[in-house]
Amino acid sequence: MTRPRFSTLFALGWVLVAALLAAAAVLLDVTARPPSGKTVVTVRLWDQQVAKAYRLSFAAFTRTHPDIEVQTDVVSYSTYFNTLRTDVAGGTADDIFWLSNAYLAGYADSGRLIDVGATFGPDIASTWEPSVVQQFTRDGRLWAVPQLTDAGIALYYNADLLAAAGVDPAALTTLRWNPGGDDTLRPLLARLTVDGDGRSAGTPGFDPNRIRRWAYNAANDAQGIYLNYIGSAGGVFQDGDRFAFDNPAAVEAFTYLVKLIDDDHVAPPASDTNENGDFSRNEFLAGKMALFQSGTYNLAAIAGQANFHWGVTMMPAGPKGRVSVTNGIAAAGNSASPHPQAVGQVLAWMGSTEGNQYLGRQGSAIPAVTAAQKAYFDHWLSKGVDVKPFFNVLKGPRIAAPGGTGFAAGNQAIKPYFDEMFLGRSDIATTLHRAQEAANAAARG
Amino acid sequence: MTAKRRSTALGYALIAPSLFGVVTFLLLPILVVVWLSLHRWDLLGPIEYVGGRNWRSVLTDKTFGNSLLVTLTFVAIVVPVQTALGLAVGALLARDLPGSGLFRTIYVLPWISVPLAIAVLWRWILAPTDGAVSTVLGHRIEWLTDPGLALPVVSAVVVWTNVGYVALFFLAGILAIPAEIHSAARIDGATSWQRFRRITLPMLRPTMFFVLVTGVISAAQVFDTVYALTGGGPQNRTDLVAHRIYAEAFGSAAIGRASVMAVVLFVILVTITLVQHLYFRRRISYDLT
Amino acid sequence: MTSLKKPSAAMVYVALAVGAVITLAPFVLGLLTSFTSAHQFATGTPLTWPRPPTLVNYTNLGGAGFGRALAVTALMTAVSLLGQLSSSVVAAYAFARLRFPGRDGLFWVYLATLMVPGSVTVVPLYLMMAQLGLRNTFWALVLPFVFGSPYAIFLLRQHFRTIPDDLINAAYLDGATTLDVILHVVVPSSRPVIVTLMLITVVSEWHHFLWPLIITSGTKWQVLTVATAALQSRYNAQWTLVMAAVGAAVVPLLVLFLIFQRHVVRSIVVTGLK
Repeated sequence: MTRPRFSTLFALGWVLVAALLAAAAVLLDVTARPPSGKTVVTVRLWDQQVAKAYRLSFAAFTRTHPDIEVQTDVVSYSTYFNTLRTDVAGGTADDIFWLSNAYLAGYADSGRLIDVGATFGPDIASTWEPSVVQQFTRDGRLWAVPQLTDAGIALYYNADLLAAAGVDPAALTTLRWNPGGDDTLRPLLARLTVDGDGRSAGTPGFDPNRIRRWAYNAANDAQGIYLNYIGSAGGVFQDGDRFAFDNPAAVEAFTYLVKLIDDDHVAPPASDTNENGDFSRNEFLAGKMALFQSGTYNLAAIAGQANFHWGVTMMPAGPKGRVSVTNGIAAAGNSASPHPQAVGQVLAWMGSTEGNQYLGRQGSAIPAVTAAQKAYFDHWLSKGVDVKPFFNVLKGPRIAAPGGTGFAAGNQAIKPYFDEMFLGRSDIATTLHRAQEAANAAARG
Repeated sequence: MTAKRRSTALGYALIAPSLFGVVTFLLLPILVVVWLSLHRWDLLGPIEYVGGRNWRSVLTDKTFGNSLLVTLTFVAIVVPVQTALGLAVGALLARDLPGSGLFRTIYVLPWISVPLAIAVLWRWILAPTDGAVSTVLGHRIEWLTDPGLALPVVSAVVVWTNVGYVALFFLAGILAIPAEIHSAARIDGATSWQRFRRITLPMLRPTMFFVLVTGVISAAQVFDTVYALTGGGPQNRTDLVAHRIYAEAFGSAAIGRASVMAVVLFVILVTITLVQHLYFRRRISYDLT
Repeated sequence: MTSLKKPSAAMVYVALAVGAVITLAPFVLGLLTSFTSAHQFATGTPLTWPRPPTLVNYTNLGGAGFGRALAVTALMTAVSLLGQLSSSVVAAYAFARLRFPGRDGLFWVYLATLMVPGSVTVVPLYLMMAQLGLRNTFWALVLPFVFGSPYAIFLLRQHFRTIPDDLINAAYLDGATTLDVILHVVVPSSRPVIVTLMLITVVSEWHHFLWPLIITSGTKWQVLTVATAALQSRYNAQWTLVMAAVGAAVVPLLVLFLIFQRHVVRSIVVTGLK
């Protein structure tokens, strides 16, 4: 037989290389998750701290269910809902994933979620925090297992800064904001804002370009700030799935907030806070902000990192009292999961007192299973922190957390308008009107 | 089989894989994107036909209009600046002083580097807290979040990335000019500046054309840099068209609207390419071979 | 004239040096930061020399899935390179030296597709991959690119047309098959262009971001660019770690470039002259 032609050898070599590469691809595919003989259920969420609590919880679960292994998959919040959507749509999402109220509609309506009410029976909902159950009920059906509730919004204060300004923390509970008179918030905030020369806001010679200490975190922050202001003025943000913030009460609320930022200079400029959701919190933690209105989602960070005396009190009341927003997070089951039974068992564990209480133990979040909340209260009690303001504020009326179909698109449409508005560069009423139109148009798709 | 039929069969056999690729992954998507522009889809639910609604909505959308304007401004800044700087650097390198090789390598480094990673690198350099520039200046400047500064800064990063690459094209173009032309001019008493203006520049027209056309087309499609540096902000001041399409498709989950935007972008780019082709073709008549 | 040239040479060096510093400074600073410990970065100023330099940021990357990302990126590049080069070479040969009906028309179609921007094709390609059930698979990463690139075919065809007919005819007369001709005549005389194309392909595959971003999810198939972006958004202000990610994404390409830099520079020159 003659020696094989070079070209034949080359062709064979090419095929060999191609086969090797293909084998490498298959190898990479197979080694992605080491097989352990168990059923693996994956849980996706965005909070690193809570993931740690889950790992402990799931370790306990595996002790009683040795054939099921549960793994957590943390995805950064900034890309969480973008990637979740493409993954769920592509059928490659985790078996269980966190949802917030804002994003429930699309998934529920397209049948991507396990019907929790149908799977576990109607009684189970009564063991969970009612506001969260309500948020995740759509068309009369419950679509996810409540995991965390944020409770309401309250006011963190830096006790050292208040003392230096001669303000008694007890006075904070009487704070009122009211554009029509009888307003005690603005004068106090002015007293607490100090520039580089030690002058407080509103006094002659005060230099708003060299502020050393802010008083408050008024900003384009839906959950911490403006939703509560809208509610406390008697307005609404949405009406069902529709954006409805173009109303006189909301105009009043936003006008007040923008004045605080751009006229009184008691809060950081919107150019700092519009693009960075953590800016105000970081200023507060650095001791450069006296009052910080926020929720329990920042409690662990503040408790862990604040090196000054601090406390929590009720947020300022508005013309119609104190109306807070509350938000919850729930774990939804992927209806396309290849192992629905295992998923059902894990979900049941996550919605049970034993499983859910791990989340409250480190005090980083409030369990949504009512019986498991005790761990949370105990934790903070032992640290001498009174968390009651976050809960007391919910005893009054509430403003609904935003959501609904097309919320993602609507929210994106709002952003440029609200950013401009908070920069003090546009007329509030016109902007709200235009923003609402744009949001509803975008939400309709 | 006749020689001709063999040749035909062979020809088609050889181009078959690439033809499959071109049709499936380049031509078919164009048809699909036009089709999608008439439908509504949020990735999760079903695809529903909505006719011209997306077109009406996108063509009157302020955000899209803003995005086109931002892209136009961006291209108008980046392309002339990178061309001018590239020409200058190319001319300097053409002196071929010892060490030019090293400089050439250095200048091309940004272009070789991964655009996404470069953007992340600059994100640190420009960070107001803990960033390199803030530390050197001792002063906070919101390079990426100040509405007035963001677009110029992003443009500067893109120019920084491309100058070396553009310079190499000009270098090649300058070196291709026959030395006799320059010597003849020198003998006639022309100064180096005159030689540059009257000989070099005109003979660089083909290179200039290439650099401008490819510059415009690639500037209009910048995505990675915007994604990592500013995410389109602040207030959509750096919302280049490619980023807007992505945000619309995968952020707002409005695939139909994103498809409309993609078609508009496509039409604009094709028009620019054709116009530049026709305009420059008449003016390039040098044959140096 | 020499008296005019000397100060000119100094000015040229100064100008080039200034530009070189502006070009290199960000890389150098970023690299230094990647070798700085997080502690030193937080307590000192961000621009202090790492004392001592540490690799801990890079080892932390391993925990964030960068090892796998590197493997995926390298494999994707290798597969695309093999596929693109093979199909482009044979197609360019056909367009350059064979006659068949529709040849020129088809070639214009290929050229026309060079104007189709990536942002236009991603959404339909996503839909197509979705229909085929190929989302988040390795094949989805390479499929759109593995069947040849019109740009490569254009460049190769230009070059193949300049090969003397005699060489090719002689080979055929000796009983060579088409594959022989390609391997023994066409490719050897086109080595610079082919090396050029290989480098351009490797560079552009390594740079891919938008397509992998939307077609893959999670850590299983993420490529280096996607991993870097994800790390940056997750560890936002931890610059030492983020700079290590940048280093990991960029350095392999830079090393490759420095080894082949003569060819790369020539490649850019070659494409520009056409």
